[in-house]
Amino acid sequence: MPKDKADLLQGTLDMVILKSLSLGELHGYGVIQRIRQLSDEMLNVEQGSLYPALYRIEQKGWVSSRWDVHETGREAKFYKLTRAGRKQLESEEASWDRLCLAIAKVRQAT
Amino acid sequence: MRWFNILRDRIRALRQRETVINDIDREMRLHLEMQVDANIRAGMSPAEAREKAMRSFGNLNRAVDAAYDVKGGGVFETLAQDIRYGVRMLAKHKAFTSIAVITLALGIGANTAIFSVVNELLLRPLPYRDAERITTVWEVSPRGRHQNSTSRANFRAWHDQNSSFQNMAAFSDQRLNLTGTGEPEELSVQFATPEFFKILGVDPILGRTFLPEDDKAGQSPVAVLSYGLWQRRFGGQASLVGDTITLNDEKFTVIGVMPPSFQFHIKQRSGTGRPAELWTILPMPVGPGANERGRFLGTVARLKDGVSVDEAAAELRTIHARLSDQEPQFNKNYTNEVLPLREQFFGNVRRPLWLMLGAVGFVLLIACANVANLLLSLATSREKEIAVRAALGARRLRIVRQLLTESLLLALLGSVLGLGFAWLGIKALVAISPRDLVSLHSVGLNLTVLGWTLGVSMLTGIIFGLAPALHIARLNLNDSLKDGGKSEASHASGSRRLRNALVVSEIALAVVLLASAGLLIRSFLRLQQVDRGFNTDNVLTMVVRLPDRYREDPQVVNFFSQAIDRVRQLPTVRSAGIVNFLPLYGGLGSNTGFKILGQPEPPSGQGPSTDVRVVDAGYFGTLGIPLLRGRNFSDTEQREAKHVLLINEALARQYFPNQDPIGQRLDVTMFDTPTPAEIIGVVGNVRYDSLVDEAPPAVYFPHPDLTYSFMTLVVRTDGDPAAIAPAVQREIRALDPNQPVSDVRTMNQVMSEWVARSRFNTLLLGLFAGLATLLSAVGIFGVMNYSVASRTRELGLRLAVGAQPRQVLLLVMRQGLGLTVVGVVLGLAAAFALTRLLSGLLFGVAAVDVTTFASISLLLVIVSLLACYLPARRAMRIDPLSALRYE
Repeated sequence: MPKDKADLLQGTLDMVILKSLSLGELHGYGVIQRIRQLSDEMLNVEQGSLYPALYRIEQKGWVSSRWDVHETGREAKFYKLTRAGRKQLESEEASWDRLCLAIAKVRQAT
Repeated sequence: MRWFNILRDRIRALRQRETVINDIDREMRLHLEMQVDANIRAGMSPAEAREKAMRSFGNLNRAVDAAYDVKGGGVFETLAQDIRYGVRMLAKHKAFTSIAVITLALGIGANTAIFSVVNELLLRPLPYRDAERITTVWEVSPRGRHQNSTSRANFRAWHDQNSSFQNMAAFSDQRLNLTGTGEPEELSVQFATPEFFKILGVDPILGRTFLPEDDKAGQSPVAVLSYGLWQRRFGGQASLVGDTITLNDEKFTVIGVMPPSFQFHIKQRSGTGRPAELWTILPMPVGPGANERGRFLGTVARLKDGVSVDEAAAELRTIHARLSDQEPQFNKNYTNEVLPLREQFFGNVRRPLWLMLGAVGFVLLIACANVANLLLSLATSREKEIAVRAALGARRLRIVRQLLTESLLLALLGSVLGLGFAWLGIKALVAISPRDLVSLHSVGLNLTVLGWTLGVSMLTGIIFGLAPALHIARLNLNDSLKDGGKSEASHASGSRRLRNALVVSEIALAVVLLASAGLLIRSFLRLQQVDRGFNTDNVLTMVVRLPDRYREDPQVVNFFSQAIDRVRQLPTVRSAGIVNFLPLYGGLGSNTGFKILGQPEPPSGQGPSTDVRVVDAGYFGTLGIPLLRGRNFSDTEQREAKHVLLINEALARQYFPNQDPIGQRLDVTMFDTPTPAEIIGVVGNVRYDSLVDEAPPAVYFPHPDLTYSFMTLVVRTDGDPAAIAPAVQREIRALDPNQPVSDVRTMNQVMSEWVARSRFNTLLLGLFAGLATLLSAVGIFGVMNYSVASRTRELGLRLAVGAQPRQVLLLVMRQGLGLTVVGVVLGLAAAFALTRLLSGLLFGVAAVDVTTFASISLLLVIVSLLACYLPARRAMRIDPLSALRYE
């Protein structure tokens, strides 16, 4: 079982998905695995949340998708970050960093 | 291009729903397979691996649905879902659906029917070119009589001196006898000056209309035919144009035929009472012998561009003031008025029509309140279902939208059925509308009306759907789930308050309608009870109009006295007489001046005036008008002019207050030279002009003294007066085979036509008020019924601890009565403010009439008590034991 689990803050799912895709093209299952891996098993995205989010992001033009053959020989739908997606990720990361910094400062004040 | 992607996906999702769903489904399943593979790699058995993967995935279908929602489900798909679901819901609750749809259909149907009339009369353009630039012009008499005819001399002054109008034409309706082809027939003919057709801007379908040179003296007069006459009498032959036809023994050249829709009929001022079937030139002679001062002309005119009605009216008033100064003996204290054409045609029905539209609006509001109440009750019983949907992830907005979709579906169903009701309603309206109201034949369901209905039904759907939907949206759904959906929790009191408010407003609206209807009914009854001064039962009337062959007065007098003698000999005839104008049937008006011989002459324009009628001795007995003093006309006086007259009681009272009028001599200015006549008797008052006004002074001349070539025969019979009509007509024909009769009616018909409008308004408003009362009774019943059902446990408890069933009954009744009383009080307050709008339609009763208001309040209380009784009886019979087990 994973160690302590963390809940994703509202609105951060998009950023996490974009981040996972920033390292290369992935199918949906891969996105979940990649997020778990990157978060050291602390973040577990449910399929029920992943796909609606993926479709939303795709509609916004941040990722593009195509069907391709997976290494296991099965077909899978691969998602890839677009240029707009990369920009979006940068801006979200920047604002996230600012937020973390701000919160850290507030917390240190005690 | 985000919006583009969204739109593309949505359209794709909508058009290829299956493909998109399959796509998503495939992706999900692959995902699942990968998970299973991973689990197996982690060392699980294949079965275990699959089961665990499935569990972590949750409900696959739901995931697909959620994903699909994002892809494109959006607006269109959920709308389709909402509609499907709504239809299923309505089909499930059949009783609810039928009651709601019928209620709405009644409201929408009544609205559509009345709106179609409003649209036809008040909104649609009139059938003339630029009709909003056309006006009529009338004089206003010193007594304040509006739409008074004008004279040739005055018309000429207006026509020549104004700078506001492009054109101005005079017209006058008269009857002419058409002979030559087929039966002799009396036609309604509109005489008009040549500009007439140019002003109205309607072209003939055949030939031409008037030209200025048609006016020249010495040539044969021209005639333009109505489409109806052309078809009926001349078989629609195009070759008729250029031929001559014979009217009153004179040859007329037919120059054109108008389209079927053409008409210019001002009923209340028409000398014939019928739309014209033929138009000819109105002669405008000048000089001695020409009747330049008699007021018998109507005027129609077209405004110049940029000139307003008010500006034109101001100019004409100035012109008329000048006429007053120049010819005080004819024009003193007269002024004039300019009426836009729509005002002219429909001014008198505008107010009642808007009132009716308001009334049906009230009915619709009541229907809405009822349906909202039904929906609330239904929504409360659906709380659990809705809570489950919310728990499964449906958002509030989505639930509200779902409920609104259901309301709109109801409204649509209601409007479809309502259109059916409206169609029937329009037929009924046309059938019962008074003949003189306006022609409603062209009223029907057209696109404007359908658009209105659709708009009204959408609006009602939102009005009655919003309250329950918002109410549900505010619910604490967790409570609903916990209590199994039958909670009497905090929200229930909110819902009850809403329901009570709805019922109270229904009752208040019903009170306003009932109060209005009650006032009209009382006015109508008053109108029936008025002492009109004559007896209408068993009396037949018909008009005989002699053509110019009867040139000499003695010929005319002789014809009518022979005719009456013959009619008196007929079986079942009790008495018969003649009169120039029947009571309540228009006439000369009561404005003829007179002088009393031997009394000082008052200043010009301020002398006494009187109504003038021409009769024979038989007239009074036939209509049951009593001879109060003196004597009736003798045989000699009915054969030749002996300069005698009878006066009515009003004249006697007003001008001979303390003396005997018999033997006094009056000079009534009806003659070319002063012709004093001696008063030989006094007869009872008759309300000639209207039932509403007191009888004005009147004098009666015998026929030889003041000979009219058209007279109305009145015949009193022992049985059904209509049955004698053919025999009377035969006697007239026997005297002159070329002589038609017209307007064959019983005196009761004349009367009922006079009160027809009042009866029509009363009937209609009464109907709407009845509908409103019925709907609010249903509303009270529904609320009380629901209240009893939801209080079963409490009432059962009361019974269990010893309350008498009667007490429970009273408890429920008292609750219903409380609502009713609040509604009645609010309604009365509104009625006090609103019934003022009725003032023009009332007679003999004030707009705020205590008796009426008290009786309708009592009526509503009784109705609502009846509506409460059934639920109350049910409450009384609750079995305490089963009630306590309930829930």
